[in-house]
Amino acid sequence: MDISFSPEEARFREECRDWLKDNVPAEKRPLNASDALDFDKAWQHRLFEAGWAGINWPTEYGGRGLSIVQQVIWLEEYAKAHAPWIGANFVGVNHGGPTLIMNASAAQKAYHLPRILKGEAIWCQGFSEPGAGSDLAGIKTRGHVDGNELVINGSKIWTSFAHVADWQELVLRTEEGLLRHKGLSWVISDMKAPGITIRPIRKISGQVEFAQVFYDDVRIPIDNVVGGLGNGWSVAMSTLSFERGTGFIADQVKQGQELDELIAMARGNGMIKDDRIADQLAQMRAEVAALRAMTYRNISEVVRTGQPGPEASVIRLFTSELGQRLERLGVLLMGEAALDFRYGDDNLVAGYLRGFAATIAGGTAQIQRDIIGERLLGLPKSR
Amino acid sequence: MDLTPDADQEALRVATADWCRDNMPLDGATSRPLGLWQQLEAMGWTAMTAPDMGLDHATEALVFAELGRFLAPVGLLASAVAARWVGGGKTALALPAADKVRVFDAEDTTAALGVWGEDAGIIMLPGRMDMQSGLDLSASLSVIDLALTPNVIGDPRARRHLQLLAAAFALGCADAARDMAADYAKIREQFDRPIGWFQSLKHICSDMAVRCAVARSQLYFAACALDADEADSAFHVAAAKRLADQAALENGRANIQVHGGIGMTDEAYPHYCLKRAHLLSFIAPVSTSHLLKEAA
Ligand SMILES: Cc1cc2nc3c(=O)[nH]c(=O)nc-3n(C[C@H](O)[C@H](O)[C@H](O)COP(=O)(O)OP(=O)(O)OC[C@H]3O[C@@H](n4cnc5c(N)ncnc54)[C@H](O)[C@@H]3O)c2cc1C
Repeated sequence: MDISFSPEEARFREECRDWLKDNVPAEKRPLNASDALDFDKAWQHRLFEAGWAGINWPTEYGGRGLSIVQQVIWLEEYAKAHAPWIGANFVGVNHGGPTLIMNASAAQKAYHLPRILKGEAIWCQGFSEPGAGSDLAGIKTRGHVDGNELVINGSKIWTSFAHVADWQELVLRTEEGLLRHKGLSWVISDMKAPGITIRPIRKISGQVEFAQVFYDDVRIPIDNVVGGLGNGWSVAMSTLSFERGTGFIADQVKQGQELDELIAMARGNGMIKDDRIADQLAQMRAEVAALRAMTYRNISEVVRTGQPGPEASVIRLFTSELGQRLERLGVLLMGEAALDFRYGDDNLVAGYLRGFAATIAGGTAQIQRDIIGERLLGLPKSR
Repeated sequence: MDLTPDADQEALRVATADWCRDNMPLDGATSRPLGLWQQLEAMGWTAMTAPDMGLDHATEALVFAELGRFLAPVGLLASAVAARWVGGGKTALALPAADKVRVFDAEDTTAALGVWGEDAGIIMLPGRMDMQSGLDLSASLSVIDLALTPNVIGDPRARRHLQLLAAAFALGCADAARDMAADYAKIREQFDRPIGWFQSLKHICSDMAVRCAVARSQLYFAACALDADEADSAFHVAAAKRLADQAALENGRANIQVHGGIGMTDEAYPHYCLKRAHLLSFIAPVSTSHLLKEAA
């Protein structure tokens, strides 16, 4: 075991750092998804032009074909440089694209992957429904086969970036009479198709970033099914593994930065003299260090065996709860000034309120604990 | 960068666990056979990083986490550190307090190693000592009613070394409690099903697994930082110790809860892990200021 990077990796790190130093936009990313759309697209395009989009994607689809370690180095430097969140590109880049790479036809890949990397196509994820969140296999939205088209009826909810998206990863019930995990399909759905209505929803932090989507006889070519009609569950599981897998790699850097800011703040306002506060800060310093170690261990596992170990689910749970502890402490350190928060402000209170998503979106903390107990410890399945 | 054990390290880790299962099972922790120490010496575990051994702290930490899982004698911690920095054979573990020194595992030795302030040091033990067991029933405890002055080991890495190995033992102890709890949750039935089916119990076990994964990762990182003599190795070792101690203590308590009534009994084993965790937490303890040092 060792924690040093190879000379080649160190050079790559320098390269990342140099480019970011000169290119990270000076202006902040706007808060609302619609205001931020142009910003997100322009930034993604710039990343693509400079060769930083899709570092470990195959070269034939516009990626660089580099190693996962280099991907981690890039993400670490990206966070250190305070580069903006990729926002509306999140779904396409982090799980839509990877799902296509793994499951889609050559034609689907050739069309969609370069557009995702270039920031030309925005994707959203239509999995959750009003009646089916944690229990994804309980979805009801259906796609009825009519010739070479699917006719879609139903509704999805909590769809992040729906109102700005071009395409959607849509999971549907395509076979009548089949229950639960059977008879589902994963479809590339055109968000501009006739029959789609989108109702944006405001979050407790004030941002309008997700929406409810209604489908009323929406027609989508059957060629847009990914991984074969009726195989939607297994394709959706690969999407979830990417969604839960890659998003947190840079968290250790971001959370370390946030923690340093809190320590400086507590020193500044004297609250660090309160032993309980100092103790919490000390604890989180140890935890942020451990998060980096866990991330490196997981990446090492991927390099060694080709796949992340079962402890990947542990990292996801741990980082989400650590993030929330940081945000809670931030608000505590603000004192009564927290009461001045208004929708539109981008401060610690906004982060705290947004942060509730970490233990809900992409599988709640309760579901993660089930997975850890059942897959890591072999306890009997509850569901 | 590789934070997973290589093939040799993994083989050594597995061999250690196998040996412990056969020769030093956890359930025998309070009545170890005479001659165990000689066996531990023969296996090379009392002096893994002694100057002529050519092994690194990463390998040592990996092995000590396995030894700790079987509640191996705490004298190993002191002896391994002594072997690396001052030489010598079996060394007892000293925990100095303001007006006394508690000494653990003092059989067949005249020296004890511990931490005084920021320094590791060695004391010579009086000829005759009264050895009884204390809270941790797996280690003999002798109390010297004097504040002794140690021979300080000049190198600051000696203290870090002890802290690292104690963290490895604590991780092992936390692992043992996690596995004991999960195993019991699979076989004990109530309401016609294994208690591990119930989420309130399952999630207690999941949290035990999370604590172990967190502590293990930081232990590996800290061991590598110490091997590379990185400037921030003191911080990383301190972080590893704090997280491992927490894992051992919290898993120790959770394990008793998972067991219900039997968990409260002297004859069942959950209390072994809990009591060991309390002892380990006092070895080279980590202060808040250690962890906040050099922060922004
Ligand atoms: C900010 C945000 C963005 C999101 N973006 C998207 C998106 O882009 N696309 C998309 O498809 N979805 C998205 N989601 C939806 C998200 O995946 C769901 O919210 C999540 O899966 C939980 O489902 P639910 O909201 O229906 O809650 P429910 O499943 O109703 O859960 C309610 C509570 O019950 C608990 N619970 C449920 N079942 C169990 C059980 N078996 N055992 C124990 N506890 C249980 C949950 O943990 C939770 O605490 C987003 C959510 C948020 C918050």
